[in-house]
Amino acid sequence: MANKPRVGIFDFTGCEGCELNQLNFEDQLLDILEHVEIVEWREAMDGQAEELDIAFVEGSLSTPDCIKRIHEIRRKSKVLVALGACAVQGGMNALKNIRPIEQVREEVYGQDKYLFPTLPALPISSVVKVDVNVRGCPMTQLEFLKVFTSLVMGKSPIEPGNSVCTECKLKDNECVFEKGMICLGPITRAGCDAQCPSFGQYCTGCRGLVPEPNVEAMEEILVAHGLSMDDARKKLQLFNANQLEGVS
Amino acid sequence: MARFYLEKGKVAAFIAHLQSQKTVYAPHRKGRNAFAFAPVERPQDVVLDYPRTVSSIKKYFLPPREELLSFNLAENTCAQPAVAPLDAVFLGVHSYDVHAVLKLDHNFVTGNPERNYLTRRQGALIVGVGFTPDRFHFSGSVGIPAGDTTGCDLFLHPCEGGYALEVLTPAGEKLVAGFKLPAHTSGLPAAAPFQQHIYVPQAKLKDVFAHNYDNAVWEEEAEKCMSCGTCNLVCPTCYCFDVEDAVDITVTRGSRERRWDGCMLRSFTEVAGGEVFREEPAARQRHRVYRKFKYISDETGEPWCVGCGRCTASCTADISIVSIVNRLVNDYDAVKA
Amino acid sequence: MTKHELIAPAGTKDLYLPVMAEITDVRQMTPLEKLFEIRLPGGVDLGHRPGQFVEVSLFGVGEAPISISSSPTKKGAFDLGIRKVGMLTEMIHRMQPGERIGIRGPFGSGFDMTKFKGKDVLVIAGGIGLVPLRSLINYVLDNRADFGRLVICYGSKSDTDLLFEDERRAWEQDPRVEFHLTVDHGSPAWSGRTGVITTLIPGLDLDLPNTLACVCGPPIMYRFVLLALKSKRLPEENIYMSLERRMKCGVGKCGHCQINGSYVCQDGPVYHYPDIKALREAL
Ligand SMILES: Cc1cc2nc3c(=O)[nH]c(=O)nc-3n(C[C@H](O)[C@H](O)[C@H](O)COP(=O)(O)OP(=O)(O)OC[C@H]3O[C@@H](n4cnc5c(N)ncnc54)[C@H](O)[C@@H]3O)c2cc1C
Ligand code: SF4
Ligand code: SF4
Ligand code: SF4
Ligand code: SF4
Ligand code: FES
Repeated sequence: MANKPRVGIFDFTGCEGCELNQLNFEDQLLDILEHVEIVEWREAMDGQAEELDIAFVEGSLSTPDCIKRIHEIRRKSKVLVALGACAVQGGMNALKNIRPIEQVREEVYGQDKYLFPTLPALPISSVVKVDVNVRGCPMTQLEFLKVFTSLVMGKSPIEPGNSVCTECKLKDNECVFEKGMICLGPITRAGCDAQCPSFGQYCTGCRGLVPEPNVEAMEEILVAHGLSMDDARKKLQLFNANQLEGVS
Repeated sequence: MARFYLEKGKVAAFIAHLQSQKTVYAPHRKGRNAFAFAPVERPQDVVLDYPRTVSSIKKYFLPPREELLSFNLAENTCAQPAVAPLDAVFLGVHSYDVHAVLKLDHNFVTGNPERNYLTRRQGALIVGVGFTPDRFHFSGSVGIPAGDTTGCDLFLHPCEGGYALEVLTPAGEKLVAGFKLPAHTSGLPAAAPFQQHIYVPQAKLKDVFAHNYDNAVWEEEAEKCMSCGTCNLVCPTCYCFDVEDAVDITVTRGSRERRWDGCMLRSFTEVAGGEVFREEPAARQRHRVYRKFKYISDETGEPWCVGCGRCTASCTADISIVSIVNRLVNDYDAVKA
Repeated sequence: MTKHELIAPAGTKDLYLPVMAEITDVRQMTPLEKLFEIRLPGGVDLGHRPGQFVEVSLFGVGEAPISISSSPTKKGAFDLGIRKVGMLTEMIHRMQPGERIGIRGPFGSGFDMTKFKGKDVLVIAGGIGLVPLRSLINYVLDNRADFGRLVICYGSKSDTDLLFEDERRAWEQDPRVEFHLTVDHGSPAWSGRTGVITTLIPGLDLDLPNTLACVCGPPIMYRFVLLALKSKRLPEENIYMSLERRMKCGVGKCGHCQINGSYVCQDGPVYHYPDIKALREAL
């Protein structure tokens, strides 16, 4: 390939489960490097690039400094990709949005709270335009590669809009409701190949909600399965606090 | 044709006899409370007395995911993967699922016949088995009793101590040949009654559906529905699919894959630019039910629902196709009275 | 349940296998729309009717249904007018003459031109709806003696996204064509007519029983055009319309294109209005 896309990788506040170096890429790394030139990676490289074809961004935004940096990244990047639930939905970090910010700062920073100004944990898209989402907590290698190859081909990847249930059924899985568990699969966006239900676990909704989700119906089902309305809301908010609050 | 007595103790040996001739697919336990068809490895793992499987045997003829084309991107060429006849025995299939396969046959033969489906389907032999209707089955209401043998080569009627093995076709006769069995001479026991019913004679269905397009039930059910698509994907007579291309990491090879899709999903009718032609969940619910009882039925004269109860049993929102249809019938009767 | 013979009948086509065709010409029509000329191997004709479509394929990207924009009277190649709206259409827009794409088809009903013989033809095209109807227009022009009047009403969002510049000017000049053009919002340079497409209809002088109308445009357009044609008292049996739906297979198998019980890729995209009047999801 004549002109390899110039790529930068950036991280913000996150649990690090999604960081690219956490995905076991041994087998594919050479192939990946074949297609792109990594010019900026905070983890591994010094220096900053002037212009990027693709910026991969991990983590959510929670300090004024984050906001400044993300604007800079956006300015110099042709395509901005949000990696993982924290970057896409505000992730687990967003949980603190549903508690008073003062309380969170107290808990996290104790006495030093005034030294660390924090914002609610915002998804990248609430501050700058995101072109592509790679969802999940953690994101899957499968989906990262799908998005990556699309971008290398120069096509804009399409996000799945179907429910996790569809992937569960493609695999002929036993529904975990049959085992007396609850599951957020019906209103969670597909793309992970229903990995949790396939291992007998329930879907916690880490990939975000489907477009136009019927949240009330989901809540009622959770309540019908023994959760209090409060617990039902908490289950739904785990990964989707911002979307449910209408922030993103 | 002949009827033999297959006592319980000989079932495993009989399955082994089938295995000696062809690949055998049969129901197995999957997870805690679910069953699924799978290739038989050990005859003793086969479960012949089961309520229903997650998917029907449709998955073997119209696989959940199927490569339609493979690409060589460097050369810009494509090829169709070879499709081989299954040449297999499907053992332990309930009558409604056999009917469902016959309906799929119709969809893949009429209009443009599809070679992939037909090739897989050709060699399939079916050994049906009776079942005890649970609280979701209602195939009796759509003309398919539990002991209906249509489409089967052999049929296992449950009876005292085992099964009455009914031979229905020459191919079935060949399958049994060489396995010594006594004749079954007593009558067949009456099948257990259905617990669920659609209360409408088939002749009236057409009118019922012609008059209920705007029934309030669509909106009411839509409030509970999460548009998850499960009811489509588990339905043995649903055949809609989506198609997507993928490339491998070298970006030199790729494939075009089709996979099951469903009209309850919002994206099913979405086009570039964001227009969704069947936008309202209520319209989608109606479409699903009309696909089963009106649109194809108006052409073929038969309901396209076989009463397996899967959609209802697997709907986490407890939306029941039987309740919907009975509601339509009641409302129709009330208006006509 | 009637049992079916499970052998694929002789002559069964490979439904999903595209033929590789060459792009022989690319013309930018507007910032969003390009016209591609496509040549099948050996220059064989596609053998289509006006109003039919093909599935255009780029390996590793996908497929899209695209109307055939040229008349069957054009030999050796056919035209596709493609608007850049998403993944596949963006990729196609980057292609150059000499490159190859996959083609399946032609698919769908199309216009049965034998029914149009001797009739006056009224073409009502909104925006990109002109792309499929251009096939019909050129067919009529190439067999001019077989038809009565040719009246074209073309409405566009603005004068900057008008399609088929050269041909449009030719139609305007051609005494055998009655051409009416309007734009929703004109730029300052626009001196022509402004207003939505339905405003063209009341002023038309038509021989109603002998006029067949062919309508194609964005989804919202149909209802209003129908109203206008009704108040004009054009008989319903004289109306044909080409509809668009999500499509995947193009051959009546994938289910995406359904309008109630009708498969647009088989029974449509061109419908005789009386046949879809009762379909609640149609318009
Ligand atoms: C009968 C028919 C004729 C058409 N003729 C033309 C034409 O002449 N010129 C033109 O520019 N466009 C035409 N379209 C619309 C064209 O098919 C879509 O714009 C195109 O599919 C968008 O594909 P994409 O990959 O660029 O968009 P994306 O949004 O990336 O779409 C992804 C996939 O969704 C499906 N899809 C999205 N939009 C549509 C749509 N409108 N119709 C059907 N499937 C869709 C396709 O399978 C597509 O590959 C026609 C559509 C139909 C149904
Ligand atoms: S386990 Fe969860 S994702 Fe799977 S079908 Fe059940 S509800 Fe849906
Ligand atoms: S099943 Fe749910 S929780 Fe698990 S990875 Fe998929 S979306 Fe996330
Ligand atoms: S399974 Fe139930 S909730 Fe899901 S789409 Fe069907 S009716 Fe709606
Ligand atoms: S509609 Fe429901 S009951 Fe009828 S065949 Fe389909 S899954 Fe079974
Ligand atoms: S496009 Fe697949 S059925 Fe019409």
